Parts: sequence; structure tokens; C-alpha cells
Amino acid sequence: MKGFSHFMSGVAVASFCPWSIEAALNGNPVFFVLGGACGILPDTLDFKFYRFFYRHDVYVEPDPIALDPQAIADEVARAVNMGVDERRYIRLKLSSIRLGADYWQQYTVDFDNENMEVVVRFGPVTNTGQVPVPGTAEKNTKVGRAKIKAKVIQTYDSSLKVDIFDGPTAGLAPREDGNFDLEFLPWHREWSHALTIGFFLGLLWLLGCTLFGNWLMGVQGLILMTGCYGIHVIEDQLGHMGSNLFYPFTKHRVPGLHWMHSGDGLPNFLAVWISCIFIFWNLHRSMEAPQYHFGLLQLFWVALIAPGLIFWGLRWLLTRKQGTDQLEADDAADEWNDMKSGN
Amino acid sequence: MSTFWIVLLSVVAGTVLSAGIACLPGLHIYNVMGALVLGILWLDALPEPCFWSFLTRPEVYVPAMTGMVVAWSMLNTIPSVLLGTPDESALFTVLPGQKYLMNGRGYEGTMITAVGSLAGAFFVVCVLAPFAPKYLPVSQEVLKGHMHWVLWIIITFILMSEWPKGGNRGRAGWAKFFDAWKGLLVGIATFVLSGVMGFILLNRSPVGHEVAFQNIMPAFVGLFAVPWCLQNIISAADVPPQRTTDSLDIDGDIILRSVWSGGLGGGFAAYMPIVTGGVGGLLAGHACAQRDERIFIMGQGVSKFVYYVGAFMLLFVPGLNLTRGGGAWMVKTLYTPSSTADYLMIVGSIAVSGAVSFLMVSPLARLTLKLIDRFDYRHVSSFALAVIVAMVFAITGWIGLFIAAVATGIGLLPVLFGSRRLNCLGILLLPIACNMSGFGDAIVGWMGLN
Repeated sequence: MKGFSHFMSGVAVASFCPWSIEAALNGNPVFFVLGGACGILPDTLDFKFYRFFYRHDVYVEPDPIALDPQAIADEVARAVNMGVDERRYIRLKLSSIRLGADYWQQYTVDFDNENMEVVVRFGPVTNTGQVPVPGTAEKNTKVGRAKIKAKVIQTYDSSLKVDIFDGPTAGLAPREDGNFDLEFLPWHREWSHALTIGFFLGLLWLLGCTLFGNWLMGVQGLILMTGCYGIHVIEDQLGHMGSNLFYPFTKHRVPGLHWMHSGDGLPNFLAVWISCIFIFWNLHRSMEAPQYHFGLLQLFWVALIAPGLIFWGLRWLLTRKQGTDQLEADDAADEWNDMKSGN
Repeated sequence: MSTFWIVLLSVVAGTVLSAGIACLPGLHIYNVMGALVLGILWLDALPEPCFWSFLTRPEVYVPAMTGMVVAWSMLNTIPSVLLGTPDESALFTVLPGQKYLMNGRGYEGTMITAVGSLAGAFFVVCVLAPFAPKYLPVSQEVLKGHMHWVLWIIITFILMSEWPKGGNRGRAGWAKFFDAWKGLLVGIATFVLSGVMGFILLNRSPVGHEVAFQNIMPAFVGLFAVPWCLQNIISAADVPPQRTTDSLDIDGDIILRSVWSGGLGGGFAAYMPIVTGGVGGLLAGHACAQRDERIFIMGQGVSKFVYYVGAFMLLFVPGLNLTRGGGAWMVKTLYTPSSTADYLMIVGSIAVSGAVSFLMVSPLARLTLKLIDRFDYRHVSSFALAVIVAMVFAITGWIGLFIAAVATGIGLLPVLFGSRRLNCLGILLLPIACNMSGFGDAIVGWMGLN
């Protein structure tokens, strides 16, 4: 899911802790802030910290002065062939090509398993907003091809596309049949998206609070952080990519439930909106003598179901004679693009 | 003349006046409304009525001010998209707007945003207005003690959700990490510096008390509008010839989804204290996860309209007693709404002004495009900058220019380091969140501002 959905889910979990509301009413926002922060923290650890320390076996760093798709193809093929020769997991880094302050050369890497080749094509020059500059797509039509010794099986459909800012990492995981699985962003959700990490961070909080003589706040924070961090992991498990749930006791990602893609609009919106409803409900429950009385179902009806039905009714009326475009992407690619294009 | 005609003419007059003002870069309608309020107070204090004394009647100035807010929130799209001089709430329309401009489709980008504003008008009149008196008092009762932590979590999200843009090449390690974090640290520094500036301006403003309405205006101009102008002057590529079109590449589904995201963001910003349209737009964009750029840009039009007009309308919602936004605070110094009739008059005024404003968008956008076609874009940006500086000087004098210069220094940090410009909103978010949580006075004391 997107960062904001996780963030709001964390705040919603925090609102279920009575001490969060009590502290907030006394002017102390710390538990709600902690809830939101822990909600987004697993992605923060990956995208803001870990990826800069993740070592690669092969770095593909194209020269922006002499653009040559063949050089890129040769390097990617070298990575695959290194994996074949050494029978091990290979980490391949594809770097972006910056042409100017606001311009980037896009390129794609595909694996043609029929011909046992890696194919590299240059796309258009894009600006930092990932918008192609008109007329640049046709300028460099050279294609780079290099032979690979094994097939590379992509776990999702799209090509490896490199354009703005940081380029992606591809992990080449050896299969029993001698070929390789291509893992997109292998450093993502490797250890950060584990329920145990949330508990561990909560223990650090408890230790810190105890050192400052406030163990009760420490225990409250431990419970809250475990829950808020955990909700991120659980939400991500609804998607495709899955997480390594009990690191360091488990070593591999458990595949997700495939119920949604992390960039899908509706699940993200529902996560945010239902979180808001729960927060509102918990605040209402905590009031001593509310002037207005309503139940949770009534709140859901007014805030979600009725407007949702009206919205979908209107949408059906407006789109019944036309198809609507649904852009699909992979979980990891979604999060990667979301990170890069974040305002 | 009957009250109906007085109200109608006042709305239209306010709308037309605001339409001209909205096309000037850097001039905020709240600056003009502030001057208007001072003028009305002066007229009211005259011992003998004069010709202009009719302006002191609420049925004249309240609809006129409504028209001004409505027209400005719709027509200010023109300088935001075409001249790249946004106010804070239009911050996110500039980049996609300039993409349209650089593709020769500036008119289309402007009109798509304006359609969003028109959809926002429908949302305010047909959805917000009928339901606000019933449901907003309920939410007000539940949330009234909790606004402070909502501001804190917004601050947390703004700071945590900015991702590194550096560290793109080289071996893994600390060098790469620091390269990546350069922009993030500048973003945090921008937020803190803006916050410090906010503490100073809100507690020891050097701006004279006679223009106290405007004490934060020079800082906002410096933080948001001037850096865009400077960037355009220094780095703008030549703008290609612009073409106009009779139809837009949008349909009902896109409008509906834009209203969904923009209405949510704008509505949230209108309802929450200090949260601006830019923040609302950011949160709604993240919440609704829309991938279509047309929805994004149109949603920003909706968000901006709902933010400005919705906040203004809240003052008049029966039984709510909520004042949000500069426009509402200014009207409140002159008039306290007291009946459902006031509310209905405001809703009607919004509808009329929204329609009139939308009809003016196309001709005014074409006029601005002619200007851009005729003159070098750098010269247009220079002219925009000159207008902004003149406005700041006219309203707040040399001290205002000094504040704007300092704010420009802070506002240029994100431009130079590629960090998020929204961090400049620390100017309001930080001091107000501290005050609402009850420790603002302690910080003011530490800073020696008591």
C-alpha cells in the first residue's frame, strides 16, 4: 500500500489505545505521532536507509556522454553469466542516466528467453516529472543485445525501466532448473517488513523510557509500536510481494494474498478512510458526555456506505457506455515509482 | 432596489473585480479584502454618510466578498499555470501545469484545472452546503479537543514522506547515503527555518499594526511565489507557441474522480485550522492514489476551490460557529451571521459567482497566452516578479520587502536542493501546532520573543 495509507492505519491503531487519547486531551500528541511514524516506518527503513548500504555484484552505470545500449546489455549479460558460472545469487544495479538538471535518458532492459538474449532499448528523454520530451523517442533507436547463458524468468510482466533518480536493483535468484528468477528490488521487505522488528523497536522505546524513569510510558509505547508497525506488515501481506514476517527467525518473503496491488486507488482510499472512521469513532467513544449519540454501524453508513453507493451509482451512469482504463502494475514497481514521484 | 438585486449585483461586481486581481501574479485576494475591510470600517466611522456609504451594508459587502473569494479561487489558476506564480494552495498545479505549457497546451492545462474548480463549485453547493448544518456540528463536537495532534501528525507525515532523490550512482556505503540525505536534510532545515520565522512573525511581527491583516503575506510571497519567478527567469526554456482548443480530453468519470480526491483534500483543509489547500491536496493525492495526470491537475482545481470557498462558507453554517480561513475572519470583523437566510444567500452567491467566474476563465486565459506568445517568457516572469515586489512594498513597506527577502532565501532552499517546497509551510504549522499543544509560549520564551 502507499505510505499515507500505512501512516493513517498506524494512527488508527494508536487511537485504539486509550492512553493515546488521554495524553492527547492533555496536550501530548506523542502516541499519535508515534503511531503514524511506526505505520510508515518499514518503508522508511528500506527506502531512506537500507538501500544505500545494499551492496551489488554488478553496477551498470551508463555514460551520459556516449549513450550506448550495447554497453548496458553487455554488463547485464555479464551479471547473468556470473550467476551461471558461480551458481549464486547475483545483485545487479541499473543506474539512471542524467542528461541535465531536469532531463533523464530512459532505457528498458528485457530478457528474450527464446533467443537467450538481454535486450536494451533507449526510450525518450524525460523530465523529472517522468514526462517524455517530444521528439526524443526517435533519436536513439539503437538496440543493444547480448547473449545470456540461462533464462531469466520475470515474476511480473513489465520490463525493467530506468528513468529518473535512482535506478532499480534486480536480484537474480538461481532456480533448480539452472535458470534464474528475477526479483525486483530484493532489498525491499528483506527484513524491515517483519512483525518482530516492530516489537524490537518497541523494546528500544521501553528501554529509553525506563532510563528516563517513565516505564509506564515505555510499556504503552511498546504495545502501540508493535501494533502500528505490525499493521503495515499485515496490510502489505494483502498484496502480491509479501514480506519476511518473522525476521531473523525466517529468511524469505512469504508471498502475499494477491488481493490487491499496492498502488490501486480503491484499497488505498478505503484504508485511509476506514482509518479515519475508526479514529473518529474512538474519539467519540472516549467522550464522557457526548451531545450526539451514534453507533459504529450508523457512522459507517453515513461516512462510507451511503456516499460510496452514490459515488458508484454516478460513476456507473457516467461510464456505462465507455470502457475505463485500469493501469496495472507490480507491487514493488508501484512503491518504487511512488517513492520517486513523491511530491 | 430589492435585496435580491442588491445581492446579485454585489456578487457579480465582486466576481468581476476579483477576476482582474486573480490574473495578477502574487496578489492574494485576502490582501484586497483586508484593504476593503479597512475601507468599510473607515466609511462606517464617518460622522455623515457619503455616496460610498452604501458599501457598509452587509447585503452589499458580504455577497461581494463571497464573489471575490469564489472568483479568485477559480481564476488564479491562470497565473499559477501559465506564469508559474502560485500561491501555496496551487503549489502542486505548477509542475503539471508547466508540462502542459511546455507542450504548447497551456490553455488546455488551465481549462482542465478550471473545470475542476467548476466541479468544486457543484460539490460545495450540492453536497457540502446541504449536509454541513447536519453533520459538521457533530464532527466539531468530537474533534474539538484533538486538532493539535492532527496538526502534529500532518507535520510528521510531511517530513517522513519525502523520499531521497540523490545517491543515484556509486558503490553502496556512507558516501551514497549522505548524498541521498542532502536533500532530505535541507527539507527538514527548510521546515525548521520557516517555523522559526513563523514564531517571530506571529509573536513579534515587525509589520505595522495598521496592516496587521497582512503580517504573514510578505513571508508567503517570499516562500512560494518569488522562488518560482526567479527559477523561471534563470532557467526557463523558451515557451513553445501555444494552441487553444474547443474541447478537452476529459470525461465524466475523470471529473467524478477529481471531485472525489480534490473534494476530500480541499474539504479537509477548509475544516482543519491552519491546514492549507496545498497540504490538503498533498494528503488527498496520497489517499486516493490516482495515476492519471488529468485527474491530478483537475483535482487540484477542485481542492483549491473547496478549500477557499468551503472555509469561507463554514462561517455561515447554522449552528456550527466555526471560522476558518482569512476571508471568513475578515468578514467576521464586520458582520456576524445569524440566520439560515444568511447561509442560503451565501450558497446562492457561490453558485452565481462560480458560473460567472468559469465563463471568464477562457477569455482571460487566451489573453494571458497572447501575452506569453508576444513576449519572452523570462520577461513575463520578470514582470510578474516586479508586480509581486510592488505589491509587497505597497502594502507592507520596506519592512515587508525585508521579510519577503528573508523568506525568499528560505524558499530557494528547496529549489536549489530539489527538496519539497511544501516544507516552507513550517511557517504556520510549527508555531500553531506548538501553541495548540500548549508549549508555544515556552518556545517563544526560549527564543526571547516575549
